[in-house]
Amino acid sequence: MRISELPEIGTKYEIESPKGDTVAVIFLTTGEIELYVLESDADKPSVTRLTSEEARRLGSVLTGALLSIEHEDVEVSFSEISDLRLHIHVCPITKNVVGKSIEDLAIRKKTGVTVVAISRKGQSIISPPPETVFEEGDLIVAIGERAQINACQQVILGSG
Amino acid sequence: MDFLLDLAIVMVSCLALGLASKYLRQASIPAYIIAGILLGKSGLDLISSDASYEFISWLGKIGVILLMFYIGLEFNYKGIKEPRRLFAGCTDFAVNFSVGLLLGLVIGLSLLEAFILASAVYISSSAIVISSLIENKRLIYPEAETVVWLMVFEDIILAILLVVLTSVMAGSLAMIPVSLVATLLLIVFILALIRRLSNFISPLFERDDEIPILLIFALIFGFSALAYLMGILLHCHISEVIVAFFLGSALSGVKSFRKLFGTIISFKNLFLTIFFFSFGMMFQLQFATLNSVDFVLALLALIFLSIVGKFISGAIIGKRLHGSLETGLRVGAYTTPRGEFSVVLIMIVMEIGVLELLPSIELLLSLVVAYVIILSITGSFFAKHGDKIGKAMMNVVNKLMPQAHR
Repeated sequence: MRISELPEIGTKYEIESPKGDTVAVIFLTTGEIELYVLESDADKPSVTRLTSEEARRLGSVLTGALLSIEHEDVEVSFSEISDLRLHIHVCPITKNVVGKSIEDLAIRKKTGVTVVAISRKGQSIISPPPETVFEEGDLIVAIGERAQINACQQVILGSG
Repeated sequence: MDFLLDLAIVMVSCLALGLASKYLRQASIPAYIIAGILLGKSGLDLISSDASYEFISWLGKIGVILLMFYIGLEFNYKGIKEPRRLFAGCTDFAVNFSVGLLLGLVIGLSLLEAFILASAVYISSSAIVISSLIENKRLIYPEAETVVWLMVFEDIILAILLVVLTSVMAGSLAMIPVSLVATLLLIVFILALIRRLSNFISPLFERDDEIPILLIFALIFGFSALAYLMGILLHCHISEVIVAFFLGSALSGVKSFRKLFGTIISFKNLFLTIFFFSFGMMFQLQFATLNSVDFVLALLALIFLSIVGKFISGAIIGKRLHGSLETGLRVGAYTTPRGEFSVVLIMIVMEIGVLELLPSIELLLSLVVAYVIILSITGSFFAKHGDKIGKAMMNVVNKLMPQAHR
């Protein structure tokens, strides 16, 4: 990675891939961000200009935070309650829990996570009652703190 | 009421021609100058009175002060000290200043006038060059960095040239050192004072009300006035434009100042547009000189040689810094546009110049006006197609000297 300052324009971060392609990110003084991609044999680079919000989203994709739709994770924080960071996590049901109910698994008691919805064959079950039995192919939407979500994935689902 | 009408004329004509230039993807600087020429003394003469002319010139003057203040803000002392950048900057100056100086002497200007012409010819337009690098998507290439630092180097040279020129035109020979010393002392005073007061003024810039912008303008005009008063006292001229430049660079060190950049840029853009208009407006085209064959020949020679000059300096820089002649030719193409600085320079000289020292000032002025209009337009074209021009020139070079090909 090469960082260089361009007076009156901004700051340039440049990286070259082993193939010889170059990718450059330029933080303009206006606050916008330009993304350059130059393939090694191309005459002209491809360029797009992003707002800082768009760039942040793209950045989180690149760092792997949004790996796939089935492992989507949204962090919600509130300006008034600075120590509260809730995660809303979507994860697929594993073989371990098919046929068991939320009550059987004691998800909340063991991990503190609340299952707020289940997506089943394209239909959503909002606030599923404790006796709801998981079926194969379900996606569950769980809410909790990061540590609780991790515990839920490891202890209950046996994945991740 | 008259001022209102005249201001409406200025704004509407600049807006119309400015928009047209954007649609045609051209530089807007010549558009505003042309608006001034069309509506001013040598054109339709629509500005109602001499008082209006003066009023518009004054607004334009604020634009020049704000431009230099802004250049000072963006100025980076530390980065320019790198040897590669210094080499590039010096090469650019040596080649292109000499071109202007020699041609000026050949066409019969005095040494001082040739010096002024050389300054105007040497200095590229940062505004056009930098916006062209962004718009034409060149920022990923290594030479973009070289070009941007060249512009920074040219800013320093501009500051030095302005100090020298204003001092030289102070009048008598004996006044030159007085003017120089006074200017330097004032600069040192400003730098030291702002550094001293930094902790005190920094919180003022953080406020959300009108205080920050008032403070900026109070500082700019306060120090400009101080320069003016010192000039009167010492019977010499101290450039308020130089003062604004160093005030800007001093303030860029104040922590909370960054967030005011946007506001300053808006003011600068507005008043600088009025400046370009006023420049065109005051310009009384000596059609007699324009028709004369000598004038046209001199202008063509100037245009041709100054373009060649930038390609030569670019080639040397490219060969040395990037190890590639073609890259260098691109640097030459990107730095061809001339614009705001050439105009500012000639305007400042006009304002304070002692006319006995400048016998051919009208010829000089006509030359620079025509030169800037033509080179801002052709220069933008060169900058836009820099890659193709570089490639085409390389083909020619390779044909002429096949053994030099690498």
